[in-house]
Amino acid sequence: MTIFRSHVLICGGTGCTSSGAAEVIGSFKQELARRKLDGEVLVVPTGCHGMCEMGPIVVVYPEGTFYCKVTASDIPEIVEEHIYKGRPVQRLMYEGPGGMSALPHYKDIPFYGKQHRIALANCGYINPENIDEYIARGGYEALGKAITSMTPAQVIDEVKASGLRGRGGGGFPTGLKWSFCAAAQGDKKYVICNADEGDPGAFMDRSILEGDPHSVIEGMMLGGYAMGADEGYVYCRAEYPLAIERLKHAITVAEGYGLLGDNIMNSSFSFHLHIKEGAGAFVCGEETALMGSIEGRRGMPRPRPPFPANSGLWGHPTNINNVETWANIPQIVGNGGEWYASMGTEKSKGTKVFALTGKVKHTGLVEVPMGITLREIIFDIGGGILDDKKFKAVQIGGPSGGCLTEEHLETPVSYESLTALGAIMGSGGLVVMDEDNCMVDVAKFFLEFTQKESCGKCVPCREGTKHMLLLLEKITEGKGTMEDLAMLEELAHMVRDMSLCGLGQTAPNPVLTTLRYFKEEYLAHIRDKRCPAGACTALLEYTIIQDLCKKCGICAKNCPVHCIPGDRKSGYLIETDKCIRCGTCFEKCPFGAIEKK
Amino acid sequence: MSEITLVIDGVECRASKGETILQVARKNDIYIPTLCWMEGLTPIGSCRMCVVEVAGNAKLLTACTTPAENNMQVSTKTEKLTNYRRQILELLFAGRNHFCMFCSQTGDCELQRLAIEHGMDNVRYPFLYETFHNDASDPNIQIDHNRCILCLRCIRVCAEKVGAHTLDLEKRGWGTNITADLGKKLGESDSCVSCGACAQVCPTGTITLRDFVYRGRRHDCDDQVESICPLCSLGCRIKAYVRTGSVVRVEGISGDSPDGGQLCHMGRWWLPKSTERERLSVPMIRSGSSFREASWEEAIALVAEKMKPALKDDKAGALVSELSTDEELTVISSFFRDTLEMKKMDGFYGNMLRGFVRGLKPFADQGVRPFTGAHNILKSDAIVVVEADPQEETPVAASYIRVSTVIERAKLINVSAGKNPFEGITDSDHRTTKKGMLSLLIALRKAVEGAEEDVSPEVKETAAILRNAKKPVVVIGSKLAEEDPRLVTEAVNLAVASKAFFEDGLGVVPMLRASNSLGALNTITGENDWVSDGQLDFLYVLSTGMVSEDKRSLEAMTRARFVVVHTPFMVHPLVNMADVLLPAPAWFERSGHYCTLEGERRRMNLVTAPVGNMKGLSVIMKEIAGKLGVEMQKASAAPCENVYEAKAPSDAARTVDSTLFAKEVR
Repeated sequence: MTIFRSHVLICGGTGCTSSGAAEVIGSFKQELARRKLDGEVLVVPTGCHGMCEMGPIVVVYPEGTFYCKVTASDIPEIVEEHIYKGRPVQRLMYEGPGGMSALPHYKDIPFYGKQHRIALANCGYINPENIDEYIARGGYEALGKAITSMTPAQVIDEVKASGLRGRGGGGFPTGLKWSFCAAAQGDKKYVICNADEGDPGAFMDRSILEGDPHSVIEGMMLGGYAMGADEGYVYCRAEYPLAIERLKHAITVAEGYGLLGDNIMNSSFSFHLHIKEGAGAFVCGEETALMGSIEGRRGMPRPRPPFPANSGLWGHPTNINNVETWANIPQIVGNGGEWYASMGTEKSKGTKVFALTGKVKHTGLVEVPMGITLREIIFDIGGGILDDKKFKAVQIGGPSGGCLTEEHLETPVSYESLTALGAIMGSGGLVVMDEDNCMVDVAKFFLEFTQKESCGKCVPCREGTKHMLLLLEKITEGKGTMEDLAMLEELAHMVRDMSLCGLGQTAPNPVLTTLRYFKEEYLAHIRDKRCPAGACTALLEYTIIQDLCKKCGICAKNCPVHCIPGDRKSGYLIETDKCIRCGTCFEKCPFGAIEKK
Repeated sequence: MSEITLVIDGVECRASKGETILQVARKNDIYIPTLCWMEGLTPIGSCRMCVVEVAGNAKLLTACTTPAENNMQVSTKTEKLTNYRRQILELLFAGRNHFCMFCSQTGDCELQRLAIEHGMDNVRYPFLYETFHNDASDPNIQIDHNRCILCLRCIRVCAEKVGAHTLDLEKRGWGTNITADLGKKLGESDSCVSCGACAQVCPTGTITLRDFVYRGRRHDCDDQVESICPLCSLGCRIKAYVRTGSVVRVEGISGDSPDGGQLCHMGRWWLPKSTERERLSVPMIRSGSSFREASWEEAIALVAEKMKPALKDDKAGALVSELSTDEELTVISSFFRDTLEMKKMDGFYGNMLRGFVRGLKPFADQGVRPFTGAHNILKSDAIVVVEADPQEETPVAASYIRVSTVIERAKLINVSAGKNPFEGITDSDHRTTKKGMLSLLIALRKAVEGAEEDVSPEVKETAAILRNAKKPVVVIGSKLAEEDPRLVTEAVNLAVASKAFFEDGLGVVPMLRASNSLGALNTITGENDWVSDGQLDFLYVLSTGMVSEDKRSLEAMTRARFVVVHTPFMVHPLVNMADVLLPAPAWFERSGHYCTLEGERRRMNLVTAPVGNMKGLSVIMKEIAGKLGVEMQKASAAPCENVYEAKAPSDAARTVDSTLFAKEVR
């Protein structure tokens, strides 16, 4: 076995790959070979490091020097200066907020300092296509321990003791859920991993599957052992080709090692894992629709009862968990449930992975202990609001979730505290909004999504969300009335109470929470025909500030609909009724003499 | 079956574990509005009309899907629920075209009825005026998607009861649509069997049958008579709708029965449309190339005059339809066989029935009942179809086969010299020639019994399937019986060897074609096929006029010197052969019993009273007997119910050596 004096970890996740990480990896390998250093230095493509905003990310060990926004052209310098001469390259290091000096080390960077990576423990550290690296960091030990020295009931006890709750959004106690399936009658049982991750902007599950697929495989096997299932399915959305590829590869390799398949580790326990790709339907993230899809049927939800634990896939007892939930299992079984329960709050144990997006300085993937406040996540880890604008709201839980405001920033993040505020944890999507975001527009955006994704089976969701969307469109176009607002709220309650599945039941949440906390914005749109945030284009008015106007005519020349008559002598005027609110004049004016409101 | 108690709207209700809240409520006469639910179909809980409040549960639950639990406290009509139901109805009305004034289904529409019940005098949501398409591509069944409320009943009945699964959904969300064959118009569909079950279950005016819409509006009908279809051997239960004395629509009876209330194209269309045919209402006597009206006296006298000498010379014969009732067949056989001792009597399907009787006789002699009720195909886990095309011979049996195969995952094996009628869903397909059929059936049976040598891999595979099957069934086509009774014996041997034992008889379903083939066996089926040869001086033909006569019968009629045709309709070429025409009541003017392939005797009920100058069959026979100078004897034929009897349980059956039975040429 070759011992390398230095490991260079380069993020190969989807985010960084689309920023050019593949070229960085290739270029690094090439440069090392050229300098004949490839026998001493190992390049390791890893999973997601989390700070996706700053990708492509390169971390050089043993020092742990963190380089960000690396391009292929930077490689010769890194190799020459850092690898060869031992002098880290300052200009590529992470710059702290507020003009702090460059922070070279991982652990010094606030983005990472407050995180506690458990589900993401291996992401960014190992090559996901190398099972030996997973094993070297303790992988498959928990499985071995369970098969050889624990009963299935004992495995379930550890999961119960951990306090782990479903990380897909439901928040149902995982150990309890497992005990239902374990107790169900039947010789044939299934476990399923829900990797459909349909929330727009969420990529927690994707990163885990791309960066550490074995953690999910091992977790599912532990679940199979505990519940008496010998077969499992990973239902992964087709829009994640890299995750599917990594998973397929991991399954093949694990089978080759005797860690998956018949008689695992020479025991009597056998487990087979299949992958089923989704086909572009958000509704297939709902567990009964998911199972219908695996069965080859149209992905539409079924009423429950019966619950999957008793009658699931092809009528057999089935346990479905989210990717992140499964990924936590090996460490819980390996380190014991109490270890996991030592983190978090009283009712929400452990950690949660969030996809921090929107108007923050550092968007990306973060894993934090439950109980951390929203302020810490957004400002300490996220680095605060982009361009130092004013925080307005944070949307939690994607299209099923709700918005919280400034007064809630001190809220500790946990299932109970969020539910009490009318929001939900969801799968972990956090969208930060600033003063330029219109909350009515935000509600409309999410409702557009759920309306498009509605399967069409039940009346409230199919027809109700359609009318809710029409009302929101009316309001954002300045044509809404107070009666429309009342009807919107009435519909929201009905759709929430009457829909067949979670999609419809939670679709009104963005509307209900924005109505609760941002009523004045709705009223401004209706009564004043004005969008306070300046986002709803139909309500925007572009005017020339005559005092600042230098009569250069650039706006008129660039206007696509020629609605700015005038000349260089007498000046220019924007004809509001012809204006299509494209914003070209606003952007082109060299003197900032055009205002929009 | 544990008993539980729950309270619904303050009423204590007893129930069995496993029943849904809706089932319990219905049993106790507590009304809960429903729209997508239909008895016999899997409940899906999609319309949300049946939502109820259950104490202790924050969610609203659909009564049609939620199992009743002990001590449940259920409220079905709170203000909140009524408000929400009303909103659902309004959303439906606002979504698509539900302008009742221009809809054929107005008055018959469940959506309309619910809206009236819920006091929907206005719709608070804006009408969306979206245009969906109106699919008029099928000649019989029209689908106006603008009226659709996506209750999915049509999809469920087509998949779960007819087994064709022609209909399903395309697109999603608000633009969801019913479609045929994954994206075709209904008229272009390959899988549709034109049974019309979709139209029967459609609660609105979406799926309609061109022939019966408007005129056949159920609401406007004066009478609804439950009866059975008199055409094929299954005897499906029907409901005939009568308006101003005419049958304007025929439907199945939706519900919990194995067939789910479906009909086939014959029952649904041929029955009501037969009322449009020209009726034979008075006796007619041939006059040159046409007929002249006559009195009954004259006609009967002429019949007797021609019959007398023919009887003496043994040149008189009778051809009777097996679509006749038990009562009619008993009268006919008591007259011809018992009174006149005339040997030459037979049914239109005589050859087929003789083939079946001879083929099944060795097993009937063992005391077992050599067939099972056709609906038991649904309980089978391996079905062998031998030279049959059930969709042609007994369409709803084809539905049973499809449902059992596609939904219950039974294995399906085809053995034929012709095409594979279930191409695409068979697990094994054995093709042979007419000459090779006997040896193939013997080879299959031997392989099931354990023979290993000279066994082809396909036969081995099929044998393994049959050995492992717990409840195999063999479906025997009528063509096989017509060809050679030994083939029937071997097909039954295969069933016995595979241990096809059902509670009511051997796992064999013979395609008996006519509604009363079983009743005909004891009464009018002849000993041999005298029809195909011989020149008769007198031939009496009793036909229901619903099914075209076969070549053998028409040729016999051509050869006979004097033909009396007793039939309700002026159908050609049948009436062209006649010298005397006697009017008979049509199917809707008759009542009587049929021995059906479902394993029970069923009663056909009178729908409308006979019109015209009609005389009952027994009266006519008595009068002819009078003219012949003989007295009517009592019927000696055994009651047809005997055909269902068994002296031994089905598992007492043993295979027989078919070579011992010489192939009798008809």
